[in-house]
Amino acid sequence: MKALAAVALLGLVALLALGVSGVFPRPAVPSGEDIAAAWGAENVVAAIILGVRLWDTLFEILVYAMTMVGVKLGLRLLRWERPLPPVAETPLLRRSADLLLGPIVVFALYVAVSGHLGPGGGFPAGALLGTALLLLALAKGVERLSAEIHEPTLEWAEYGAIVAILALTGALLLVGRRGSAHLIAANLLIALEVAIGAWVVLHRFASSRGEV
Amino acid sequence: MEGLAAVALAIALVGIGFWTLIVRRNLIWKLLGLNVAAGGAILFLVALAHRPGARPPIVGLGPGPSADPLPHALVLTAIVIDFATLALALVYVVFLTEHRHTQDVRRLERDEERGWPQP
Repeated sequence: MKALAAVALLGLVALLALGVSGVFPRPAVPSGEDIAAAWGAENVVAAIILGVRLWDTLFEILVYAMTMVGVKLGLRLLRWERPLPPVAETPLLRRSADLLLGPIVVFALYVAVSGHLGPGGGFPAGALLGTALLLLALAKGVERLSAEIHEPTLEWAEYGAIVAILALTGALLLVGRRGSAHLIAANLLIALEVAIGAWVVLHRFASSRGEV
Repeated sequence: MEGLAAVALAIALVGIGFWTLIVRRNLIWKLLGLNVAAGGAILFLVALAHRPGARPPIVGLGPGPSADPLPHALVLTAIVIDFATLALALVYVVFLTEHRHTQDVRRLERDEERGWPQP
């Protein structure tokens, strides 16, 4: 058994060395400018994650959604004996949330929509939207916010976003059309999905302990 | 030179992370160590993308070589998956703490050998 493991390990090292050594010809890598031009983007990273490596991004989003479902179901199984203490209202936080919410949401939309032209994209936009929700949760209390934004609708929106991303990528891969419109749509959907996932984590962890 | 410094910092971060992961007995500290090690790996990938005098990989930012965009795309995946798995792992730690009333790995193993204390 030990000898077998040693042989397997040595074989792995040999394979690695063979791959690095340059015995096999390397595939020609197109330049970043070519990739960006082919996908109608200026941000080469966006063209890669939403174009060349679309499957990778797709399954990354699926892994993200699956773990969010895991968090949701896992924490739902726990029963808490003590009722949660109500959150104290602070006028300072209420006012700053009122003032900051609009600019944060607008900036998140800007980052999502212009993600193929400059720094940005769906994931940072989703994180920004999640931050806006966190600010609201700090100001209002998680349970009140959850009742106000109607959580079941939000869950359906999350599943809808996943289905829409799948449909969009499927269409993109089957039809083979490339353009900035697809990148913008994919970025917006990714932002929605990431923001709802962040909200799910925030809400479940906060309502499990009554903090925030 | 900046690339080398970043690689050194990345190796240091991974070392600190794995040290915490192995030595600390608290599960939450272990998760934190794992996250720091993941941060080191992410920094390593970003340092790999560095080229001397490079500009960001965006078309039209001027002449000169651009940084390698592929590691940046990989890093995006790594960050998101890192966050997601950390959240899921914390859920398991919450579960364990609720049911076994400890986060100490050694105590958990000892209880596993002796049989769990009945509540």
